Amino acid sequence: MPVCGVKVAWWLSVHVGFLHLFYGEGSQGFQSKVKLLLESDPANPKCFLELDKKLTCFWEEMGENGTANQYNFHYTYQVSSPIGSQDSGTCNVSSLSVGGRRNISFSQMSRVIFYVPLDVYVSQNGRVIHQRSLYMDQVFLLDPPKNLTVQRTANPAQLRVSWVSPDFIDDGLMYEISYAITGSLMGKVEKVPTKTRVLLQGLQPGASYTVRARAKPVGLSFSGTWSPWTPPVFIETSPIDMDPLILSLGLTISLIFLLLSLTVFLSHRRFLLKKVWPIIPTPENKFPGLFSVYGGDFQEWMGNSSEGLRWIPAHCCTEERPSPLEVLSEVSVPPPASSHTENIKNPSPEAERGTREEGNTNRSSRHPADGDSATWWRSPSHEEWLMAQLRELQHHPRLFSPPSLLESQDAYVSLDQSSQQPEEETEAAALDDIMEETVPMQTLFAGMGAESSDLGSIQQSSGSGQLSSQSSFEYPNHTWPPKGPGYTYMAVADSGISMDYSPMSSSRIADLRIIPGPTYTNLYKNNVPTHKQRPFVGQPINSR
Amino acid sequence: MCQGYKRSLKLQESGIFALLLMVLEWAQPGLPSPLRPICDLRALDLFIKEAQKAEDAMRSCKDACTLTEPLTVPQPSVDYNVWKRRDMEQQAQEVQSGLWMLNQAINSLKTSINNTVLLSHIDNSLGNIISIGQVLRSLSFQEYTPSATASGSTETWRVSSASALFQVHFNFLRGKVRLLLSHAPVCQQGVS
Repeated sequence: MPVCGVKVAWWLSVHVGFLHLFYGEGSQGFQSKVKLLLESDPANPKCFLELDKKLTCFWEEMGENGTANQYNFHYTYQVSSPIGSQDSGTCNVSSLSVGGRRNISFSQMSRVIFYVPLDVYVSQNGRVIHQRSLYMDQVFLLDPPKNLTVQRTANPAQLRVSWVSPDFIDDGLMYEISYAITGSLMGKVEKVPTKTRVLLQGLQPGASYTVRARAKPVGLSFSGTWSPWTPPVFIETSPIDMDPLILSLGLTISLIFLLLSLTVFLSHRRFLLKKVWPIIPTPENKFPGLFSVYGGDFQEWMGNSSEGLRWIPAHCCTEERPSPLEVLSEVSVPPPASSHTENIKNPSPEAERGTREEGNTNRSSRHPADGDSATWWRSPSHEEWLMAQLRELQHHPRLFSPPSLLESQDAYVSLDQSSQQPEEETEAAALDDIMEETVPMQTLFAGMGAESSDLGSIQQSSGSGQLSSQSSFEYPNHTWPPKGPGYTYMAVADSGISMDYSPMSSSRIADLRIIPGPTYTNLYKNNVPTHKQRPFVGQPINSR
Repeated sequence: MCQGYKRSLKLQESGIFALLLMVLEWAQPGLPSPLRPICDLRALDLFIKEAQKAEDAMRSCKDACTLTEPLTVPQPSVDYNVWKRRDMEQQAQEVQSGLWMLNQAINSLKTSINNTVLLSHIDNSLGNIISIGQVLRSLSFQEYTPSATASGSTETWRVSSASALFQVHFNFLRGKVRLLLSHAPVCQQGVS
């Protein structure tokens, strides 16, 4: 049996250039294998064993094209005992063009002996250029798998691939399935040992895939390199088929969810809006017209707007304009025999305000017929006492002591509750403690004209009210003009909260009846004296 | 009448007993039960890998491992077409005789090699050869006891170094032995 050459012996005489024809159907496979090994096999010469047990060893021709390169191919089996005449020999060398400018020379051995080392030598012009030791059973290069079929499955992300194993003497083949989306460079490879079908998973539905396969013998008995790839198979995975039930369910659920969220949002929209768009407080409603009319110019707004006055807060000016008030005398309730000097001056006419009144004070200045008998203020007795005081004033004009200046700012009135009538002590004593603060002070004011103001001092007999509302009065002048018919007297009843002024004329002093004139009621602020108990000194106040 | 009955019963008992003995003699239950066939080739693959390691280890030993006289070893080479044409019995015979030869040859190395590492390889290889024999027996191959004259019938080689010996040993195991085992008819029954 010849060791070298091809089995089809009658092709031997063919010219080198036509050598590529005689392989027939296998030429394509042969060329693809040669190309494959040209890229992947670094050894020289590159040898591979084909299915029909042809060992082909080839090498790339170096040098210029066309020159007849004389190569010699020699082989030797490493045997410890000579097998026979076929232990070593030489084989013919042929040439082949594999596309482009590449040419190869090759030699083939048809007798294949396994499990024995084989040494091959390629020599050119007597010089060995390539040498290699190999086992024939380890250089298998099979044909690609046959009948590669790809099928779609019920799952759109899966493909079933099956093929037929190439002809081989042994069963132990390893397969590799390469699949990638058509046009994509990134592909996956699935290794399949022995079995000739596989299920590809994790695919993209509705995409076009390219599937290829190749085989390699693996094992200790036989091994080799990867076969060329099969021709690619193009297949499209089925698109995702949405189950109508799932679709409708999903739509319904999403609709319900939407409605729920809308309801929640609408019911809490104010809260949500406050959270999302917090209201930034602006002072515009407190300053009407400030921003809209005057553009933020506060001075202009203050000057031009009448509403600015109204803006003055209530607590700012609780005190009215100080009105000069002269208190001529303060009538204290103890009996007129005390050293009271009373100066009655004209009170300020400005003191008029409608305020709330104590029922008691009203009673004291009104007609006795109006009052009731609820309190110790016996109107007649009260009026009598007032008249008595006035008379005393007239009679004893000098009894007033030199004035002492007081601060004009202080206004203090001390409540004296001991000015009760003696006969009413029993009655009043019970009410003393209760009504102490509400005991109005009776002060007689006598108006004497506008031109002068006298100094006068009023001594307070006793003023130990806990709440002492004090008014200070000034008496610039020393003299006290005698009383005459020009005097106008005003009885002031100080209830601690309001002062009632009732004018009285001097001519009527003798007249016990007091004409109920207009009652002027003032409200004043009670300033509690801080540390010292000041003697009450009445001073005339300029009534202008 | 009763006595006659008793006597016939005794005869029957002894007859049954004798029959039982004959059956048992024929079945020979005293013999060891047949081994379950070892069709898995993974054990053999392991032996082959160990033989490769032994060959690599022996390659380093050149001078000390040179043998004084050549050893007879089986021919590892396989011409596949030729091999295929042989029947199973011949293949089994060739494998068994080859294993026997290897056993002899490796055993003789023990005296000449002192390296402990190499000695361990030698012992391992010897044990593996015995295990392969067991596998062969389990596959119902006819046991073949090679004789001195049988070495001439099968093709043999002669090696002069330990490395060559272990190379032959490695190739023989992964060649002929494995081919035989992988195509054992006992294992082919359930395989499609």
